[in-house]
Amino acid sequence: MNKKDIQTLILLLGLFLFFYFMPLNSKIFVDAIFSGLKMLNDYARQHVLTCLVPAFFIAGAIAVFVKKDFILRYLGGQAKKYIAYGLASVSGAILAVCSCTILPLFAGIRKRGAGLGPAITFLFSGPAINIAAMFLTISVLGIRIGLARIISSILLSILIGLTMAFIFKEKPEEGGIFVEEYKEIKIGKKFLILFFIAMVGILVVNGLQINKMIKFGLMIFLVLVTAAIAIFKFHQETTKEWLKETWNFVKTLLPVLFLGVFVAGFIMPFLPQSIIEKIVGSNSIFGNLIVAIFGVFMYFSTLTEIPILQALIAKGMSSGPVLALLLAGPSLSLPSMLVIRKILGTRKTLVYISLVIIYATLAGLIFGLFV
Amino acid sequence: MIIKILGSGCPSCLLLEEMVKQAIEELDLKDVQIEHVYDIDKIISYGVMATPALVIDEKVKSAGRIPSIVEIKKLLTQ
Repeated sequence: MNKKDIQTLILLLGLFLFFYFMPLNSKIFVDAIFSGLKMLNDYARQHVLTCLVPAFFIAGAIAVFVKKDFILRYLGGQAKKYIAYGLASVSGAILAVCSCTILPLFAGIRKRGAGLGPAITFLFSGPAINIAAMFLTISVLGIRIGLARIISSILLSILIGLTMAFIFKEKPEEGGIFVEEYKEIKIGKKFLILFFIAMVGILVVNGLQINKMIKFGLMIFLVLVTAAIAIFKFHQETTKEWLKETWNFVKTLLPVLFLGVFVAGFIMPFLPQSIIEKIVGSNSIFGNLIVAIFGVFMYFSTLTEIPILQALIAKGMSSGPVLALLLAGPSLSLPSMLVIRKILGTRKTLVYISLVIIYATLAGLIFGLFV
Repeated sequence: MIIKILGSGCPSCLLLEEMVKQAIEELDLKDVQIEHVYDIDKIISYGVMATPALVIDEKVKSAGRIPSIVEIKKLLTQ
């Protein structure tokens, strides 16, 4: 038996024990299961087809069409500071990074490229600003919180990067970076722009409050436009590449999301409303701080922070702390801290963690004042 | 020939290693050494920012993607 078999055995054993002792007669348990399934049903009906699937296709298209070497070049050593910070703060959406690729990029930007500040900016904004997470936040938690999340992720990442660079003055080493020349993709610019507009259009139309018939008509039209461009205007290889990248996103993100949604729905009946209302029901310094600290240590798999927050909001969490959690949650977790510590050292990691907590708390407080 | 695969142990890095081994076997290459570099500092010292990366005789050949088996064979026979 190898290591993997043993893991499977333990998993199966755990499942068996769970099924064996499942308290099916207890009302609260049955309610929790029902609540988990209800939330899954809600996501499948309202968010998967109309929000996530288009977002995955857009993310796939970005992965194929946006030239990565171009971005990496501007995060290199000779880059102007303001360009490096600006680009680092949005490149999470473009480089479409998962946690497994984010660390080499982070270490590379710091040591061989634009330096510590932009590297930190990238580290913070990378997970928060991914396309699927942005659209799902808007679709599930509403446009206000969605936009607040996008804007404050960008601003905060730059602030944290600047602060780190100010506290620790360190020079990147010489040596340059390896940038692979990507093959040129030959498509008319006009069609490429139309292609992206059509896909984003699907998401925008879905959010409009208009007659259902017109809405679905428009959406089907936009889907047809997208498909037509992909079939008739792209090189066959390009279309294949696009579908492959899209499938990669679906494959890695959707199963975890479904699990996360069920878990969020399942724990909802157990969440004590009175305690949640007492701590984070209003926009207090204490509430925002507690949530920011919790978010920094807790591990959220990509996208799963959204259903968890949805459950907390249903139990009375107010908007300020919601934003604080959205900012502090995805960017850091206990496991990622340990890895970052290996690269940055203990002192810089501690400062980085404290900065995330402080800025996330402040952002939550300020947002809470406005809504 | 010394072949290095740079990667932090992520699934695609392991896949690249498998593919390189397969390519070597199919090409029936002799006198080849394969090394998987996990250490992030060493990876960075090649100037690589995106893993997995393929290094042949200390020259970076690809980074941030998994080349097709045909491409790997081409790189190995150059």
